[in-house]
Amino acid sequence: MARTRKKNEMNAGELNLTAMIDVAFQLLNFFVITSHPVSVTTNLDVFRPSEDKTANPTKPPTVLRIMVLNGGFTLNDQPVTLPMLHDKLDFITKGDKTQTVLIQCAADSRHGMLVEVLDLCNRLGLKNLSVISSS
Amino acid sequence: MRKHPDEYLSGNLTAMIDVVFQLIIFFVATVSLQDTVSDERIRLAMAPSGRPVTTKDPREVYIDVDKSGQIRIARFPYSHREVAFILKKIVQDNGNNQIPVIIRGDENARHDAVKNVMDACAAAGIWKIKFAALKERGG
Repeated sequence: MARTRKKNEMNAGELNLTAMIDVAFQLLNFFVITSHPVSVTTNLDVFRPSEDKTANPTKPPTVLRIMVLNGGFTLNDQPVTLPMLHDKLDFITKGDKTQTVLIQCAADSRHGMLVEVLDLCNRLGLKNLSVISSS
Repeated sequence: MRKHPDEYLSGNLTAMIDVVFQLIIFFVATVSLQDTVSDERIRLAMAPSGRPVTTKDPREVYIDVDKSGQIRIARFPYSHREVAFILKKIVQDNGNNQIPVIIRGDENARHDAVKNVMDACAAAGIWKIKFAALKERGG
């Protein structure tokens, strides 16, 4: 009788840790697989200019050339600030959002400035964006 | 009363195997996130007007460019020649050049470092590329 009581006391103090860990992992796996984090990133599409075999050489395409320099921007060789660039692009492309925008980046310009221009073009609904680099 | 030596060896193997399988599932579920997770050294530029990324192509190749100009794929540093070789191999294996390449450049990276990646894409015949940016800055 004394031996039985002693055995029961030991069982009452034991915890089945393996089962608890098992359930914890089950929950962890469930939340890892089912959770979808909110996306805060965006992808800005650009094209690299390649030879267009279907282009009609008799009709020159309308191209807007934006230069991204180390200290600022130019639009068709006219120095502009970012708000000015927005207004001018908006005015020029009001009727035709399919115009090709050629963005030329100087080698020493910051990548953030290129992203600013791409974002601005996105805001204006311009889709044909090509990025080239100048040495 | 002393235990028989065999009693010490007989653990609850079923529960142990269960936990081991749980760990395998956990690592299999999380290992695929490692390639696409953003490098904390790269501070992306802001583009509030960009469309949020809703669909993911499993063929997406992420190329990171940090502010010192170092190029990394899956956190492993490569030269631009190696990147060109890797992209050529990917294009060759897929049979077309419509591979989504996403360049995650630091906002303070010089353009010539990004240009090296764009040239590597061009060498592989990839003409359409994407630049990753942030829609909103986290706290």
